[in-house]
Amino acid sequence: MFLYYVDLAWRSIRKTPILSLLMVLAISVGIGITITTLNVYSMMAYNPAGERSEQLNAIQFWSQGPDTWDDFHRLITYQDAMNLRKGKVAPAQAAMFRSGMAVQTDDPEVLPRLQGIRVTDGDFFKMFEVPFVYGNRWDKAVDLDPAYQAVIGEKLNQKLFGGENSVGKTIYLNRKPYQVVGVIGDWNPQPKYYDPTSGAFSRSEQIFLPFSLTANEEFSVWGNSSGWKHEPMNNYQDRLNSEKVWLEFWTFLPTSEDRAAYKSYLANYVEQQKELGRFTDNKSPVDSVLMSDVAGWLERSHVVPEDNKILVGLSALFLSVCLVNILGLMLTKFLKRAPEVGVRRAIGASRGQIFSQYMVEVGVIGLFGGLVGLLWAWGALYALSARFGVSEGLTHLSMSMWLITPTIAVGTALLAGLYPAWVVCRTKPSVYLKSQ
Amino acid sequence: MLTMKNINKVFKTDLVETHALRDFNLEVKEGEFVAVTGPSGSGKTTFLNIAGLLEGFTNGEYHLDDVNISNLSDNKAAAIRNEKIGFIFQGFNLIPDLNLAENVEVPLRYRGFNAKERQRRVKAALEQVGLGARMKHLPSQLSGGQQQRVAIARALAGEPRFLLADEPTGNLDSLMARQVMELLEEINKAGTTIIMVTHDPELARRAQRNIQIVDGQVCDFTLYQGGQSHLVDTAEKVAS
Repeated sequence: MFLYYVDLAWRSIRKTPILSLLMVLAISVGIGITITTLNVYSMMAYNPAGERSEQLNAIQFWSQGPDTWDDFHRLITYQDAMNLRKGKVAPAQAAMFRSGMAVQTDDPEVLPRLQGIRVTDGDFFKMFEVPFVYGNRWDKAVDLDPAYQAVIGEKLNQKLFGGENSVGKTIYLNRKPYQVVGVIGDWNPQPKYYDPTSGAFSRSEQIFLPFSLTANEEFSVWGNSSGWKHEPMNNYQDRLNSEKVWLEFWTFLPTSEDRAAYKSYLANYVEQQKELGRFTDNKSPVDSVLMSDVAGWLERSHVVPEDNKILVGLSALFLSVCLVNILGLMLTKFLKRAPEVGVRRAIGASRGQIFSQYMVEVGVIGLFGGLVGLLWAWGALYALSARFGVSEGLTHLSMSMWLITPTIAVGTALLAGLYPAWVVCRTKPSVYLKSQ
Repeated sequence: MLTMKNINKVFKTDLVETHALRDFNLEVKEGEFVAVTGPSGSGKTTFLNIAGLLEGFTNGEYHLDDVNISNLSDNKAAAIRNEKIGFIFQGFNLIPDLNLAENVEVPLRYRGFNAKERQRRVKAALEQVGLGARMKHLPSQLSGGQQQRVAIARALAGEPRFLLADEPTGNLDSLMARQVMELLEEINKAGTTIIMVTHDPELARRAQRNIQIVDGQVCDFTLYQGGQSHLVDTAEKVAS
């Protein structure tokens, strides 16, 4: 019977094209707007770490003095980062910050370009599962004993070296030579969870340098740098010794036991620091430490702004307004066909069969509405990206949305169709048989 | 086959109660051709609607093929309508978007017949009413008489035990009306019980029995046998 109902639905749609078109448009506009906001929301709320979400932990300290900041800062000080690096308690760990420099090669044809750089430890690539096309990360020894080595991205490799294996070649960063030791593939996690503070939806960097070079090279900081007290900054060393926070610190802790042990290690560390006169706020060592897995980190970083959640709610409200309109249109359309229902009931259709017939019709209209709604959503996301410069990572219509959209459209149409279908299936056949 | 005892049907509004049928008694035997006559508003159509399970009744007893019709579920009533009863209406009531074959096929779909069986029955029914060659035509492409024959084919396709016809020739000219009447007689001869509501005394006379309804009650009935007829008081008949 289902195919028979689909056939009847198609005939009915063709019979009243304008009314049907109005219904499809009403659904599609509601769905288009809902899916656009939902897509942006789901892209923002996506956790790219997948199964490793719990194993990767960002470290935060309550290093501020009393009566200053009222929450954990997402960044930590250089001295804390260096102390944790030396501790080497976690199986893998990486301090990091964002910097930037002008990049050149030996080729005079290649013009210098300003490029964002991630300064980090070698474990970064393993922890965040960065794929390599050529070569590999710098040697572990470089994390202790600085060397002028670099890992570059495939895109930059294409621009600088035409895409060939550039391992062993030299790039110049602010005119200083660095040897390329690895080329990573197309890697651009969205949101950029390892450093949402420097733009949660900006592209991943194309150059990675050893963190151990920081003190020697005095890399500029292209990210947040905050302090809770006044400290004179006469030189770079002052910054390194200060209580300013400007670094992320990530650890890879595979098991819950590892994480518990690390937390206790951090508490001990804070205790030691308190003895040295730091961490002056009246907070216990255990409470001065926060370890956030990726999901928690994204939450704490407010990757999904409150505005966006409100927008999703508003679009759902708009969809419900469309739903009410569709309900009215359907009621009009279905009641017009009550005489036909009377005939069908007289010759043997049960209420359930009539109800199913009309619900299938509603479903077909919903499906069309969903497909047109997808086009609206696609167009809206394209416009957001092309006209308003919204990050590409947010305006890509995800695969799941191609499935979710028709499902939501059919579901909402069925919801709107429940009442009209119920009304029409309760038609008293005798009333309409007489009046026909 | 069909037995109604003391059936009452009351239509109620906030202000008025209308007794469409009062203590209505009737028995129709298998194979009969019964004509129901009476003035407008006498309750003929209400009787037909109740007989065809299109409407319920206020109280009384109604048995159809030994099935007690009181308090029947909607599904059960629909199944009985589909399997046992064929309807023919004054306004034909064909579905305008469906061609003749599809119109005739509708009740068979609700019965759950497979495509092959549906096709066989549709073909046979349309051929029986002389429209076998016009299966793909739409109702709007046919004359009134032809449309009524399609409606009869639709009623026949399910091989019902009895046909309920509400003024089947009311919208037809005399020639068409005669053809439709001949078709109904033919169907009756083949064994199908027919109850026909009509205003036309000529047509009523062609039935085996004529029941007259006045003010919601069977006022009298006439048996037509070999051109002779005699009037029997209903009250006396019920009493006997």
